[in-house]
Amino acid sequence: MSDRWTDRLSEYLDDELGAADVAALEAHLPSCADCQATLEQLRRVVARAEALDDRPPTTDLWPAIARHVGVVSLDARRARRRLSFTVPQLAAAAVALTLLSAGSAWLLLRRPAGAPPSQSTTTPSPILTNVGTYEANPRYAAAVADLERVLAQGRSRLDTATVRVIEKNLGIIDRAIRDAQSALAADPANSYLNLHLAQEMRRKLELLRQAAALAGART
Amino acid sequence: MELTTPGVATLRRDLDQATRDAETADVALAASGDGRAFERLYRTHVARIHSLAQRMTGEDHADDLTQDVFVRAWSKLSTFRGEAAFGTWLHRLAVNVILARRTTLGTERGRYDDSENVLDGVASRPHTAELSLDFEAAIERLPDGARQVFVLHDIEGYRHEEIADLLGIVPGTSKSQLHHARMALRRNLER
Repeated sequence: MSDRWTDRLSEYLDDELGAADVAALEAHLPSCADCQATLEQLRRVVARAEALDDRPPTTDLWPAIARHVGVVSLDARRARRRLSFTVPQLAAAAVALTLLSAGSAWLLLRRPAGAPPSQSTTTPSPILTNVGTYEANPRYAAAVADLERVLAQGRSRLDTATVRVIEKNLGIIDRAIRDAQSALAADPANSYLNLHLAQEMRRKLELLRQAAALAGART
Repeated sequence: MELTTPGVATLRRDLDQATRDAETADVALAASGDGRAFERLYRTHVARIHSLAQRMTGEDHADDLTQDVFVRAWSKLSTFRGEAAFGTWLHRLAVNVILARRTTLGTERGRYDDSENVLDGVASRPHTAELSLDFEAAIERLPDGARQVFVLHDIEGYRHEEIADLLGIVPGTSKSQLHHARMALRRNLER
């Protein structure tokens, strides 16, 4: 059954009828059982639609999506996207690495016979176990301060060329640490930056240990 | 000690904020190439996107469209400015992807006849015990135009003016299609 109001019932339900039409329909409804029944059914349809639950797909679509976007090998993807440097940046990085290697080699070669070897550079320091707390880590700060003090005390026992190499390398590492900290201030959740900061701080600690050991060995 | 209502409300608000913050961080990480963060976003939103695709186009195309939506989202993450929630942005992207595909799908299915007699067949299907599944199936049997308007308006909450823009129709047509869809689906309630 339908009358002139049947096709307007959805608009009435959605408050989209003009005031005059609303008044006319509301005057009509009490005397029309069909319109009343239809209106109630439409209300139930709308309520049923609003109550529908979202359901995930029956099969996991992520593997196919990951293949499409190239994140199957997550580490490779991350490295490809994040470590895309310009030629000047690569050149600067190469210089820094060369200096670091030269510094380490210089220190090792200059160690006198019988001097105790420095600690392994491949074993992570127990001080550095949580990237997120490096900046405020009192144990790290204390360790660096101790080594700097030992180095300062033994500095006069090292020749000037050795001191120059050590200071230059420490300067490079400190700049890298400051840059990483600045970037992290803007993007604290960036896992690459956290890792980079951790590596630089660990590198500083190891260089200081080597230098302090060398200075102490000259006592 | 039992939490008071204001305490519960505060806790819920904090949790909601924490969830939003975590999602914001994941969006930033994903935009910088972090696949694991993007997978977390996928897990959070896949049910809504897949349900939208299934209701708009039918079960056969939902998986394919859902994959397409997330692949496109990955390539467009850098354009997400955070002015709206990520879920809102993703949903809008999904609607555009789905509607862009609708002409092809409509041709394949031969279901662009939106006349009222087509609507008569919507409820004529075997009864199932699960009402919501029955209702979902009835939605899927609607003609394309009526189904898209019904899903966008009554399930997704779009206004007729927005639907008209999305579908390239006038708001009056959207209202008419919605009413036809509801009238067809009310028969499903009686079964």
